[in-house]
Amino acid sequence: MALLEIKNITRIFGGLIAVRDLSLDVNEGEILGLIGPNGAGKSTLFNIISGFIPPNKGKIFFKGEEITGLRIDQIAQKGIARIFQEPTLFMQETVFENVLSGFHRHYRQPFWKAFLHTPAANREETLKKEKALEILDFMSLTSMSNELAANLPHGHQRALAIAIALATGPELLLLDEPVTGMNPTETMGMVEKIKRIRQRGITVLIVEHDMKAVMSLCDRIVVLSLGVKIAENMPAAIRKDEQVIEAYLGKQVI
Amino acid sequence: MKQLTSMKGKAVKQVAIIILAVFLLTLPLYIDSAYIMHLLIMACIGTILGMTFSLLFSTGLISLGAAAFYAVGAYISAVLSMNFGFSFWGAFPVTVIASACLALVVGSIFVRSGGIAFAIITLLFASAIVLAAGQVEYLGGWGGIIGIARPTPLGPVEFTNKTPYYYLALAILALVILAFYALYTSRIGRAWKAIKLSPNLSGTLGINLYRYRLLAFVVAAAGAAAAGSFYAHYFQTVTPGAFGGWLSIYIQLYAVLGGLEFYLLGPAVGAVLMTFIPEYLRVIKEYEPIVTGVLLLIVILFFPGGILGSIINSEKINGARLWSRISSIGTWMKKSR
Repeated sequence: MALLEIKNITRIFGGLIAVRDLSLDVNEGEILGLIGPNGAGKSTLFNIISGFIPPNKGKIFFKGEEITGLRIDQIAQKGIARIFQEPTLFMQETVFENVLSGFHRHYRQPFWKAFLHTPAANREETLKKEKALEILDFMSLTSMSNELAANLPHGHQRALAIAIALATGPELLLLDEPVTGMNPTETMGMVEKIKRIRQRGITVLIVEHDMKAVMSLCDRIVVLSLGVKIAENMPAAIRKDEQVIEAYLGKQVI
Repeated sequence: MKQLTSMKGKAVKQVAIIILAVFLLTLPLYIDSAYIMHLLIMACIGTILGMTFSLLFSTGLISLGAAAFYAVGAYISAVLSMNFGFSFWGAFPVTVIASACLALVVGSIFVRSGGIAFAIITLLFASAIVLAAGQVEYLGGWGGIIGIARPTPLGPVEFTNKTPYYYLALAILALVILAFYALYTSRIGRAWKAIKLSPNLSGTLGINLYRYRLLAFVVAAAGAAAAGSFYAHYFQTVTPGAFGGWLSIYIQLYAVLGGLEFYLLGPAVGAVLMTFIPEYLRVIKEYEPIVTGVLLLIVILFFPGGILGSIINSEKINGARLWSRISSIGTWMKKSR
């Protein structure tokens, strides 16, 4: 059984079929790339998995359990973390506070204990703060922990978004264009980070336009075009796939 | 070094709180005017109400009906006292709990919407409460409920002049501040702030927006009802007219004037100023509301962070920034649609 099973998903916006009868499995422990030209339905699929948009047809299973139709926060509680394409952070908070907010679903002490600041609740809080420092260190953000998120350079904002997602302790991480707009050095740094995230036992589903990054990172690649899956294979095979080349470049070039 | 300065800041804060507490506790010793004491009591009540507005604001909700549960609390307490023989000391906790229960029921519908919709719903709810109270015979109609008992003596302390009422109001205020502060500094407050800053991101962190906003709604209602219960036994009269639309607007002004980002101190500064400045402008008689209004407009347009925000951030005001503030209101309205 795959970690995430997408079965026959269809999503229509007005007259446009954004995703058409799409089925896809994400296996535990892999890095799966999702590529395709603009308008292929990649972002729509992300929005469907994370609960922002309901599908018109089809079902999604996470660890064998159906998650179709659940709210955003319920899906997050199951262990799916999602990074937005635009840097979405708590801009007016410090980097450290941003990461701390990520631990929300791991608090075990009840409401009233948190309200009364009982010793148990305070211990829990201290523990989360220590773990937040650990994650900041992992994402190389320690030196900026007291900066406001809004003041970070673009690349570091991306890293912070991932740090927040890691704090939620996900089993599946959805990354939407994590290296787009980065220079080659930054890109390589991010690619290394994502590999290390997988080593932590986190499965990664990644949408990315930077082919070099995708090819070096992914175990498998799925290609979408106009809402339909046109290829699913190892990176080396995808590179040679004629349908893929056609979808990206158009027929006349070949 | 950084740690040292933050420790120093903490110590300064603690000393400031102690000085302020001593000042407030000894205030009746320096004042012999019953009228000034009355204004101080109203400032305490205004502060509590402003804080309940700020509490909802801290979750990204704007309530235009902040007076609703103030009225609910006053009426429940009045009925408990007049028809069921409760003293203030019994009526107060019952009122707070009953109002919180009512808030749980209506809030579970209200907080499903946000932005402008929530603002309008709360405005209508507050108006409906006033109209309903005026129509119901049992609540005395438009004439209200008259002759509510003063709080029964607390040991040797009798509630025959303003001073014990002042201490009682101060005690309720302290209780509300403690409760709100405990919430803001816990993970609950952090979740509220997360919802306000980015509903989408907080959703992907597993924060249940609806549940946390409902909690804020209930807590705010309980705070306002506590103030309402005190009001009933202080004025000994409850009329629908006392809780009309202007009151909700004043409550928002307390919070905005003091500084919206200062959830506890902001409403205190705003309420004290809004209570005392009009009094000292009384010399100009009928022009007082105009002058007060113009002063408010100036503060809100040129010091959008409120008085505390302007002192603490001391941003330079220039044309470009002012324009960006005004246009940001437009974006906010677009967003909340």
